[in-house]
Amino acid sequence: MKLPALNDVSFTVDKGEFVVLSGASGAGKTTLLRLLYADEQASEGDIEVAGFDVTALRRSEIPLLRRSLGIVFQDAKLLAGRTVFENIAFVLRVLGAARHEITPKAFQALKAVGLSTRAQAYPAQLSQGEAQRVALARAIVKSPALLLADEPTGNLDEEMAGEIIDLIKDIWSRGTTVLFATHQSRLAAQLKRRTLRLDSGVLTKDEG
Amino acid sequence: MSEALVDLRRAGRVGVSAVLLITLSLTALGGFWLLSLNLGRAVAQWRDRVRVVVFLKDEPTPSALADLTSRVEGLDGVYRVRYVSKAEALSSLRQSLGAQSGVVDHLPRNPLPASLEVTPAEGATTPEATRALAAKLAAFPETEEVQGGAEWVEGLARWQRLFQVVALAVGAVLALAAILTVTTATTLVLHARRAETEVMRLVGASESVVRVPQLLQGMVQGLLGAVVALGLLEVAYAVGAPRLEPLLQLTLGLARAVFLSLPQILLLIAGGAILGGLGGLLARGRAVA
Repeated sequence: MKLPALNDVSFTVDKGEFVVLSGASGAGKTTLLRLLYADEQASEGDIEVAGFDVTALRRSEIPLLRRSLGIVFQDAKLLAGRTVFENIAFVLRVLGAARHEITPKAFQALKAVGLSTRAQAYPAQLSQGEAQRVALARAIVKSPALLLADEPTGNLDEEMAGEIIDLIKDIWSRGTTVLFATHQSRLAAQLKRRTLRLDSGVLTKDEG
Repeated sequence: MSEALVDLRRAGRVGVSAVLLITLSLTALGGFWLLSLNLGRAVAQWRDRVRVVVFLKDEPTPSALADLTSRVEGLDGVYRVRYVSKAEALSSLRQSLGAQSGVVDHLPRNPLPASLEVTPAEGATTPEATRALAAKLAAFPETEEVQGGAEWVEGLARWQRLFQVVALAVGAVLALAAILTVTTATTLVLHARRAETEVMRLVGASESVVRVPQLLQGMVQGLLGAVVALGLLEVAYAVGAPRLEPLLQLTLGLARAVFLSLPQILLLIAGGAILGGLGGLLARGRAVA
């Protein structure tokens, strides 16, 4: 028997909001985020993200949706064979940015996460916290309307996690909407933001 | 393009194997093509030389000859008619005998008949057409015997067609092998590049940006294979043609063997690129699946 990963989940996030998505591991947070960036298809219901009707998107339209999103994961997913700078520039290059725009934009993003001095380092030479900051720089370099953060502090110690959260708050303060998923209920409480709680695929709390 | 070249380096031995297989298939294809091309020239040349000779019972008077010529020219499929008198026939015999031409002088009388040399029109040099023409010419009351036809030229043409079929069959098998190898090479590269591909898709790169390097990688392999194949064919031609030409002259009447023309060379190169590109596209399909 197949059980739905999410059931009867309904919520709206306004532009410019910072929303925490909490819940234990396996509660459906990642599935929910994947639905939002069209990596999964909902069996029923409607999803609208950044003006896109995600459930009606054709395969060829998915890149258009994702260009308006920044996505970070627990694992930074950096390209091992490229330097920090190249990891950021890669995104701009594959999105067709003009050649003369790539370097200043990439450095601006690195500056925003406090890593402009580590531009020539390779991912293997970075701490986990630094790697996650590069992942954040990569997510914001294309100025997304919405940042989806899936357990970005899950692998980090408290101090590094704090730095990442401060950076995400900073990004949010500049106008980017944030949906921050975490299984750490203490962290969710510390953030003091609107919190959506998922339990076994069901939205059990929406408060803050 | 730079991504494609980096990918090709990453493919290593499998990439080299793909290039070699494309080289092999295009060399085989090009080799058969060269043979077929030269046989085709021989066939065309011999088709131009097809003649039907009508030996006459008696040497006609000028007015009878004019009448006969006009009746023959009026037949379907006749391009030209040339009269060869008994004296001309003897003169030709004398010339062809060369040093032994004195033998002719010992003949009590000219034994050679007068004849009409009939050149079939273009399109009427097939065995069927020349047989039909010969039958009509044989029905003339002035005709003693009719000789000539296009059977052996058609035999040559059949060989040419056989070469074309063999070339296509061998080429197709090797091309298939080449496509599969390019597919494997590109799939391996895709596997190595999956982190990049994942990032590209996550940030919203269009599918064409994700896939074009794979297509280009295959095409570069194909182009390399085609260029090497052409080099091999050129060397084989440069070495082989001078040795084969006397034999070709003797058997087929071909003074010289020709190499592929520029459009044919470009077609072979394009063929290589298409083979490689197909391999890249198939790899894409497998990676997506």
